[in-house]
Amino acid sequence: MKNIQELRNIGISAHIDSGKTTLTERILYYTQRIHAIHEVRGKDGVGAKMDSMELEKERGITISSAATYCRWKGHQINIIDTPGHVDFTIEVERALRVLDGAVLVLCAVGGVQSQSITVDRQMNRYRVPRIAFINKCDRSGADPLRVIRQIREKLNENPVLMQIPIGLEGNLSGVVDLVSMKAIFFEGERGDSLVVKEIPDELKEEAEARREELLDAASLFSDALTEAILEDRLEEDLIHEAVRKGTLSRELTPVFLGSAYKNLGVQPLLDGVTRYLPSPTEVDNVALDLDKGEKEIPLTVDPGAPLVALAFKLEVTPYGQLSYLRVYQGSIGKGDDVIITRNRKKIKVGRLVRMHADEMEDIDRAGAGEIVALFGVDCYSGDTFTDGRLNYTMSTMFVPDPVISMTVVPSDNKAQGNMSKALNRFTREDPTFRAHVDQESGETIISGMGELHLDVYVERMKREFNAQVVTGIPQVAYRESITAKAAFDYTHKKQTGGAGQYGRVAGCMEPSRDGSYAFVNEVKGGSIPTEFIPSVDKGFRSCLDKGQMLGFPVVGMQITVNDGKAHSVDSSERAFAQAAVGAFRQAYSKARPVILEPIMKVSIECPSEFQGNVMASLNQRRGLIMSSAEDGVFSAIDAEVPLAEMFGYATVLRSLTQGKGEFTMEFSRYAKVPESIAEDLKREFREKGKGGK
Amino acid sequence: MERFISASPLKLLERSSRKGLGPGNLGVLIARAGVGKTACLIHIAFDRIFHGEKLVHVSLDETPEKVTSYYNVILYDLVKALDMEDEYEVRGRIDRNRLILAYLNQSFSLERLENNLGNLEKNMGFKPDTLIVDGMDCKEASRDLFGQFKQFAESLETEIWFSALSHRHITETNERGIPYPCHQVDDLFSIILQLQPETTGMHLRLLKDHDHPSISDVSLKLDPGTFLVMEKG
Repeated sequence: MKNIQELRNIGISAHIDSGKTTLTERILYYTQRIHAIHEVRGKDGVGAKMDSMELEKERGITISSAATYCRWKGHQINIIDTPGHVDFTIEVERALRVLDGAVLVLCAVGGVQSQSITVDRQMNRYRVPRIAFINKCDRSGADPLRVIRQIREKLNENPVLMQIPIGLEGNLSGVVDLVSMKAIFFEGERGDSLVVKEIPDELKEEAEARREELLDAASLFSDALTEAILEDRLEEDLIHEAVRKGTLSRELTPVFLGSAYKNLGVQPLLDGVTRYLPSPTEVDNVALDLDKGEKEIPLTVDPGAPLVALAFKLEVTPYGQLSYLRVYQGSIGKGDDVIITRNRKKIKVGRLVRMHADEMEDIDRAGAGEIVALFGVDCYSGDTFTDGRLNYTMSTMFVPDPVISMTVVPSDNKAQGNMSKALNRFTREDPTFRAHVDQESGETIISGMGELHLDVYVERMKREFNAQVVTGIPQVAYRESITAKAAFDYTHKKQTGGAGQYGRVAGCMEPSRDGSYAFVNEVKGGSIPTEFIPSVDKGFRSCLDKGQMLGFPVVGMQITVNDGKAHSVDSSERAFAQAAVGAFRQAYSKARPVILEPIMKVSIECPSEFQGNVMASLNQRRGLIMSSAEDGVFSAIDAEVPLAEMFGYATVLRSLTQGKGEFTMEFSRYAKVPESIAEDLKREFREKGKGGK
Repeated sequence: MERFISASPLKLLERSSRKGLGPGNLGVLIARAGVGKTACLIHIAFDRIFHGEKLVHVSLDETPEKVTSYYNVILYDLVKALDMEDEYEVRGRIDRNRLILAYLNQSFSLERLENNLGNLEKNMGFKPDTLIVDGMDCKEASRDLFGQFKQFAESLETEIWFSALSHRHITETNERGIPYPCHQVDDLFSIILQLQPETTGMHLRLLKDHDHPSISDVSLKLDPGTFLVMEKG
């Protein structure tokens, strides 16, 4: 990359069905990366370029954030296409981690919907400057001004129109650029040729008024612009510079309009990307220095500095693993030796490629700021690469624990092998997806963030790995915890010939305040010799994996050991670990154990007329409604609902709202299961136990 | 929770003739912009919830997320100020007994509110004892609207608290001593409170006490940071 100032790493993210993939496809077409346009649910059997996985093509949704690059007016743009389902939030989070800026696509009819709010919150967390594109202005019911209001109110941003539409709904024919004050029409079969004309008379007044708003908003970021306005010597560059400053400070969101599907408004949006979104030099990135207690170290976008790069996505290809990499500092080249910080493993860079969705272009070297892919490197998603001179890691991303699991049983031996390969691959690609073999049943169990999340991986197993599997019913990830303090005093004594075993531990268990496990050593006078204390802790820890109530992991417990006894010959680490296990069993049932279940934060949007039905459906599901917001004819309901009650809710909601309602959910917290439900679970557990015998 | 109740700004009403607002009645809190109307209303909400009541917070200008975060911030400060140990339980109690209804972009109408509250009662079994209505433009709201609210409070057997924005430059006051913007509708309110920052601290004054004709200077001095009672004014 010759001039890093001209590089843009952007994401395109939004609510599902806002048209992100269609927009990306148009961008690739206008930037001449592709020479024909295919639709998301295309009849030509090719599918949009960014939806490279077969399953995505079939469902018309984007699951993986495939990366691609293109050029526009001397700028290089790397695009990460991000998924719109909340079940795949880790994909969005990863994409945001490596982005410098983003385009938030909003539907002119649907407006700011629940997923847009989630994505926007994530963007705030990663401090990503953005511009907005109000898509589908050609649709019946399109109301860009309503969307602008929603951006202000629901996303708490400061949107400013850069354009106004010429016509709306079926009459949409172009846009008025409020900076140049010209009308732009998109002519030709694919809207390739931009025809600039004078603003139609009927729009002149509105254009003037909106331009005033734009200038008012932009002038807050530029004294030069304010002076120019006062002295009546406005220049377009001054406006662009002020809007850029506002955007970079995340205090202004420039808004563009159009219809990607109708080939309207995409080229001006590309101008907006290059004009207003930052280059890698304008974004602060830090790494953690492992040699200095994870001290934060700012990275410099200098190709000559030591290498720091992050693998943010893995993909399996017929030729091996492809690892997407963002270079933050230094450069990486073909033939270089690089070190993976996690395991200090040295690897040689074989092929270095630049990705264009599922096609690739070999390159020799990539510098700071660039997004490239390594071929055939054995690494995990989230790994940091250095050239060995530094021991840095990029800050760890927040990875939530899975909340749902289910069994997968291969249908035959061949499927067994393929399933293992698939699971190995998926767990490397996605830290929120886990797989393990249950030691008692011998069954393979996969866990993830929601029904759809697991469904997609099961489908991918079948399609990409030819692993036919039968799945069990999804199971909620329950936990056990205690609610009272209980004392223990247990002596482990065994004399079976040879060396005996002896250890006594006394103390108490109680609920911990922060929900984690804590071990407190209050033993005085050496009643338990110091060298055996870690074994006592280890013994207690070993009991947490499986609670005695229903066998779920135990959380939120503090163990205090204050007394004990040792034998000069028969005491050992093993004896004290066993004593701890005995003490745990002795006290657990007295500590009033309870079962905890995952509670999800559920956000539902529906026309207001269905509000009552939706509330009733949540009530039936043990939901606690937190709030309801009325906006125009829509209601947005936020509730907390146990995950166990949410299976199949998508179908229920569709039928309750004549298909007009939709919902998102994410993990909120663990809470105690009501007594009646706990009894049902215990009964199931007992029956399962009997069946197993 | 007992600690909060004993320091709640609503302690002021213990000195009112009926020891509170009461079902079927309207109350209003008047203050200038930025003084802390919403914070004070949230204190009223906490007081009612901690007394075992159910509450609906109606916001006409903020999203539920913002209202929730106001509650969280204020509760966080209270937990610190009062050294409350049962924070988890308090939060759980608030979540179970408070519901936020927001009406954005002029979506509010009394009919819609009635409909929403009907949905809550029918489908969730949630019937509020108290309604907090924040963000209503009392200057623009008609006498009719408050009259309808009064009827609504009576039929629902609930008490309704409003906030009203006063201005430093508008000094209009009626003959009963009730200031703008409530001076022409004060007969519809049973309790009128005024929150005023003064050099000595934040003062909460009782301006109207049901039908009680004479009110001596009943006021409390509040901590400007926590809105908890510091001393009698």
